[in-house]
Amino acid sequence: MNQKSMERMSGAVKFLVLLVFGILLMMPFVWMVSVGFDRTANITMPFPPRLIPETISGFNYGIVFENGRLIQSYINSGIVTTSSVFLQVFASLLAGYAFSKGDFKHKKLLFILVLCTLMIPMEPRLIPLYTLFNSFGLLNSFWPLILPTVINGMLIFLCKQFFDQLPSTLREAAQIDGAGEFRIFFNVYLPLSGPIAATMVILSFIWSWNDFMWPLVVLNSQELHTVPLYLASFSLENGTSLGGLTMALATVSILPIVVLYLFLQRYIIQSIALSGVKG
Amino acid sequence: MINLTSIQYFYQTQMETLTKSVGKKEGKSLVRSQMELQSNEGDQSVGISNDVETLKSKKRKAAITWYIFLLPSFLGILLFMVYPIVESFRLSFFQSNGTIEKFIGIRNFEQVLTSKTFWNTVWNTFFIGFFQIMITIPLGFVFASLINSVRKGQNFFKVIYFLPNVTSIVAAAMIFQFVLHPEMGVVNYALDSLGLPTSTWFSDPSTSKWGVILLAVWHWIGFVIIICLANLQAISPELYEAAKIDGASGIQQWLFITIPNMSGTFAFLLITGWIGGLQRFNEVYVLGGPNGSPARSIQTMGAFIYERGFTGFEFGIASAATYIMFVIILIFTFINLKVSKMKL
Repeated sequence: MNQKSMERMSGAVKFLVLLVFGILLMMPFVWMVSVGFDRTANITMPFPPRLIPETISGFNYGIVFENGRLIQSYINSGIVTTSSVFLQVFASLLAGYAFSKGDFKHKKLLFILVLCTLMIPMEPRLIPLYTLFNSFGLLNSFWPLILPTVINGMLIFLCKQFFDQLPSTLREAAQIDGAGEFRIFFNVYLPLSGPIAATMVILSFIWSWNDFMWPLVVLNSQELHTVPLYLASFSLENGTSLGGLTMALATVSILPIVVLYLFLQRYIIQSIALSGVKG
Repeated sequence: MINLTSIQYFYQTQMETLTKSVGKKEGKSLVRSQMELQSNEGDQSVGISNDVETLKSKKRKAAITWYIFLLPSFLGILLFMVYPIVESFRLSFFQSNGTIEKFIGIRNFEQVLTSKTFWNTVWNTFFIGFFQIMITIPLGFVFASLINSVRKGQNFFKVIYFLPNVTSIVAAAMIFQFVLHPEMGVVNYALDSLGLPTSTWFSDPSTSKWGVILLAVWHWIGFVIIICLANLQAISPELYEAAKIDGASGIQQWLFITIPNMSGTFAFLLITGWIGGLQRFNEVYVLGGPNGSPARSIQTMGAFIYERGFTGFEFGIASAATYIMFVIILIFTFINLKVSKMKL
């Protein structure tokens, strides 16, 4: 066998291995969709597992939407995520810009302080934050979910890195024209920060959308539940007793994210690779 | 969630700020000399002192502007980082349910550290974390190398392999309850029809941790692959060319060029993996509730804190536990940093 056909062979084997493992990874999703469409999947699941359900019906999906709690939780997650993303990205742009182009006392010390916040997990802050928002009477509202996102060390860090790459001559030119610091930021640097802003929106969207422990602590009333909270409460109530319905619910909850991911995959994968976020 | 990417960049940043500050100084002196030049045109003696005054006040004004830029973030740090950390420390010495408090010294710590339940959660957390990391990093690296070496479909595989990581772990846990169901699940069915032994997964305390590990591997592997791929593509092609000239085979190149060049990436994945793993909560809460059933076999440290803090409202005990967990994470991260440094 000559070398060329050897290479082609090994390439084909690699491709095959990747394909088989890829199918294995996708298997839970495929089965989820299939069971969701299966009318016979109620208290017992169809067994042996089938790829194409015996009686295809939208029954389970009908129940999911009829119930309305999923749609409500989508709206809630939408409100929380949009506000958090906006607040977080804006505050991080401001701070990242100041740490990059600013000239003030204790700049380095303050920046190290920001980096230190990256090492503080949520757990030790859980109880004091809970009592803090309780004393303001803000439990059972979206405020506790939105306000603490204002500080994100990772995003400030990424922003600073980005602004470091932009030349300071832009500032000097604007200064000569008599522009103040805020005007320089809003009119000169902010319009240039599109790429990093897109990355930050993606990252903070993922963080905020998937946030679980803190919303679980703060939100008691069902009407305020975000999507992950609703899923968890449904799952804990029903266990594995309502196969078809659970799978339909999981499908509907995952679908929008998957569609968004397929459209933006290049940017999302880039952002993840840039930051090392864990979803 | 915490993230230690910063540590990776830390030295780099410090270098940058250093070089930057040097650059700044030059810029400043330039501005000053310009000002002085301008002032020299007028009355010299008065001009200079006047300029020094205006320069000072200008600088002060500028500094205030910069602090306004930082205001939102630092209000956040003070209110949502510094205050909770300090308050949590204070609470850990009190018996508290949120309204009534009583100072009890280090009794909370004593109680947590002598609690069998707590040490069980430590064991569970480390067990699940260890196997998740030891399986996912090598496996993810092999698949990243494979994806990197195939000519067609690179992007397709990237998208497919990363998909599990995009779905929330809560939804994933919900699906896995069925996928790993001992009687009705696909995994046991597939194992059985291949003639392999099946498992009881989440229904038995002796196997439930492996269910969580499988879920964690499935969810994390896409992340590992993406990070590995990004770094694989950053290895200089010249190294491979030189090796090819020396007659190294593909496997040899992989062993002696790729793997040593990836040690920094492995260290990064090890550290972030452990930090995430030690904070595990979401999936075990969905699978086993706050007490990690069956028989507390999948209760993690995070779940212990949630159980004591928010189902029992024992704020003091929970605070002490969070501090113990915090210290465990810090020590362990430090060890990881040391270990991975040694390998480098």
